[in-house]
Amino acid sequence: MGTNLMFGQRRESRTFLRKIAELNWAMVIITVIIASIGFAMLYSVAGGTFEPWASRQMIRFAMALVVMIAIALTDVRVWSALAYPIYAAAFMLLVAVDFVGITGMGGQRWIDLGFMRLQPSELMKVALVLALAKYFHGLNMRQSRSVTRLAVPLLLIGLPAAFIVRQPDLGTMMLLIMGGIAVLFLAGARIWLFVVGFLGTVAAIPIGWRFMKDYQKDRILTFINPESDPLGAGYQIIQSKIALGSGGVFGKGYLQGTQSHLNFLPEMKTDFIFTVLAEEFGLVGGLFLLFLYMALLTYGALVSFGSRSVFGRLLAMGLVVAIFLYVFINIAMVMGLVPVVGVPLPLVSYGGSAMLTIMVAYGLILSVALHRDVSMPRKDPFG
Amino acid sequence: MEGTLKLAMETARNRLMVAVFLFAGAFMALGFRTIGLGLMQDVSLRSGPDRALSQVIAARADIVDRNGVVLATNLQTASLYADPRRVFEPEIAAARLAAVLPELSQSTVLEKLKSNRRFVWIRRKLTPRQMWRVNALGLPGFSFQMEEHRVYPQGSLAAHVVGYVDVDGRGLGGIEYYFDDRLGNPADASEPLVLSIDSRIQHALADELKKAAERFGAAGAAGIVMNINSGAVLGMVSVPDFDPNHANLASGTDRFNRATAAVYELGSTFKTFTIAAALETGTVRLTDSYDASEPIRIARYTISDNHPQNRMLTVPEIYTYSSNIGAARMALDLGRDRQRAFLAGLGLLRAAVIELPEVGRPIFPQRWGDVHTMTIAYGHGIAVSPLQLTTAIAAMVNGGTLIPATLVDQPRHIRPAGRRVISAHTSDDIRMLMRLAVTSGTGRQADVPGYRVGGKTGTAEKSGVGGYRSDALVSSFIGVFPMDAPEFVVFALLDEPKGRAETLNFAGGGWVSAPVVRNVIARIAPILGVEPKQEDESHYRQAALLIRESD
Repeated sequence: MGTNLMFGQRRESRTFLRKIAELNWAMVIITVIIASIGFAMLYSVAGGTFEPWASRQMIRFAMALVVMIAIALTDVRVWSALAYPIYAAAFMLLVAVDFVGITGMGGQRWIDLGFMRLQPSELMKVALVLALAKYFHGLNMRQSRSVTRLAVPLLLIGLPAAFIVRQPDLGTMMLLIMGGIAVLFLAGARIWLFVVGFLGTVAAIPIGWRFMKDYQKDRILTFINPESDPLGAGYQIIQSKIALGSGGVFGKGYLQGTQSHLNFLPEMKTDFIFTVLAEEFGLVGGLFLLFLYMALLTYGALVSFGSRSVFGRLLAMGLVVAIFLYVFINIAMVMGLVPVVGVPLPLVSYGGSAMLTIMVAYGLILSVALHRDVSMPRKDPFG
Repeated sequence: MEGTLKLAMETARNRLMVAVFLFAGAFMALGFRTIGLGLMQDVSLRSGPDRALSQVIAARADIVDRNGVVLATNLQTASLYADPRRVFEPEIAAARLAAVLPELSQSTVLEKLKSNRRFVWIRRKLTPRQMWRVNALGLPGFSFQMEEHRVYPQGSLAAHVVGYVDVDGRGLGGIEYYFDDRLGNPADASEPLVLSIDSRIQHALADELKKAAERFGAAGAAGIVMNINSGAVLGMVSVPDFDPNHANLASGTDRFNRATAAVYELGSTFKTFTIAAALETGTVRLTDSYDASEPIRIARYTISDNHPQNRMLTVPEIYTYSSNIGAARMALDLGRDRQRAFLAGLGLLRAAVIELPEVGRPIFPQRWGDVHTMTIAYGHGIAVSPLQLTTAIAAMVNGGTLIPATLVDQPRHIRPAGRRVISAHTSDDIRMLMRLAVTSGTGRQADVPGYRVGGKTGTAEKSGVGGYRSDALVSSFIGVFPMDAPEFVVFALLDEPKGRAETLNFAGGGWVSAPVVRNVIARIAPILGVEPKQEDESHYRQAALLIRESD
């Protein structure tokens, strides 16, 4: 009885092996398939060799996969307990980039750990959802709907966003804010707040414009009217669309993409990798990848629906939103539906930080799924 | 309490559902867009037909200029391949190959040799010495495929015109792409494709444009020399340029052809069309005057003059002093429909037509109101490519016939069929005005003694945030010579030039681009066989008398 009070009635009684068996391996396999598409594309972009990108990406993915499974097998209550410390650590790292960051591509974003360059802003995306889920878990519905209780979450979102925009990394900042707001929405904050927030943002656009760097302004102007500058920033989008269109229904065949192999496309191995896929595998390849992402996200949403705790529900859905934003913004960007903001395609684009973020996020979703029946007592953080 | 809990659960569910529906919608949007782009039938966005790697790589026809100077040709090279099943001891073979071809990675070669395929490329396009070294190894299972390697002996000269090819010799840009079928057809391989380009003129034009772009810190430059009677493009330059021998190393900006693919608001050069249309339709006569004493205010715009005279101006004065006010008033008299029909007749409202894949589509107002009529009168609110402007100006001074521009050499002395756009009489008037704009107007710096240059300056502010940017100009000059019997048109454009002390910090077309045209004409006129001579000023007297010298 005493233990029941401490841990709730549905205390963890499964063995480790049993948990491994219950893990949703179908979803793990989908992440592997998506990452494998990435390896194949990186192999193609490098002109048919594993060096220098595909091989490194495979090693990173193998490590990230282990991390994901370890996170999934860890009791979700551990993550709940660690939510605030993780957030604090991510925030400290973010502050640290201001001092020791390496400047790359016009902005300070990385901390060099020797073996990899860590982008704390990526880490922050997961940490923020954890912290917000933890916060709302401690509130009842009435408290969740109260406006004053929103001060803490807004601070949790706003502080890191302010540091990220200083770096400057507009794309990541928007992802972070949108992800955070999505959690607020799911938690039940009042609708009029979102309406007011939205209108306020629109009103603030002219002010924000002044603080943007020239390249950011260029991108937005180019998005509004790509033909105005077909040689500069508009060139990327035009070339990207040409590549997407030239793939046709079945593509030009693996390793046969001319747009990509002849360096017409910028950032092929990172932000524009979807274009390479669509050129070589056509419509069928592009839709297949979309389908895989949809499967991952649909499962995440189901996990959220099935979770008995507020923490699990918000964590799963918040992370689904975060992953979704990556996928959507990247693909919409290469198709010219939204302006070019450097957002990688999850698991496919070359790069360690974003991949690790996605795998950690999905590991947490799997953990919520695996521990959907554990009971998590409510505790108001302010007593 | 029960009710609150229920409400809470419901809110949570509803909000989750909203999120899920938003996702579904977003994914559907992506899916539809993927399908839309994938099924896109627009040929301009499709790349060329895919030819499978043929085992015999056929020769490709040369590209030469009008005088037979080779612009693109082929070099026989040998490409090394292997049939892995016939290779003994792949490890040793890989090690020995890597020893004679140090740029090969031994592990990559070994990997290829251990594959189950029957054909693997080891290295493409070896030099004769490398081929000799590999042969000296005497390895079984390796053979050479003789291959043509495309070379461009003139390097970056005419790079944007000629274009470039991929490693398999398929055209990817410029003439190489446009005539890919013709150049790659084995039946025609011995017959070079002759362009209208003249390397000497091309060189002079490129040289002057690059010097000017550097001197004025311009982001880019473009230039065209064209024969106004045949439409033959003798020179076409876009700065910055690239070396087509290494096109894959060039950036997109370098490969971008500013002479055909870029569209610019070109400014006052458009006054030529406004006046031509007004004279042609009888809306005005040369002797008519317009009030340019004060700026016009319309909607949120103010139309004012850069060289204000603050008085009534005759038609020749409007042109030579480049009065925006006068041109705008004249366009109002002309009317929107006639203005639009005239510009459409000159091909300025559709993509340029030339034998290049890189052509830009003009930008002009979809809803063409009075304000647009007025701004378009002096070349704002409409953006066209330099090639289109040059072609249209040629029609203004060649007697009134629009002749399509071409990059391919046509049989000489045959005047191609064109389409009449203005009368010979109007064309004569335009010739006078263009000459006077150089002798006594804004284009003085373009004059070359003895060659009777006529022309018009064009200075446009680039559009930026919230309107035009007075610090970013597109400065151009369109010159025609010799004006008493026009034969050639020379266009020069500088993108975002910065004023320098020697130009009194001005960066307009008259200051930065007119001298380019002057220098180009001074260099090419002797090549083109134009004789310098004393000018007969009576040619222009009729219009000259209508111009009062400004103070």
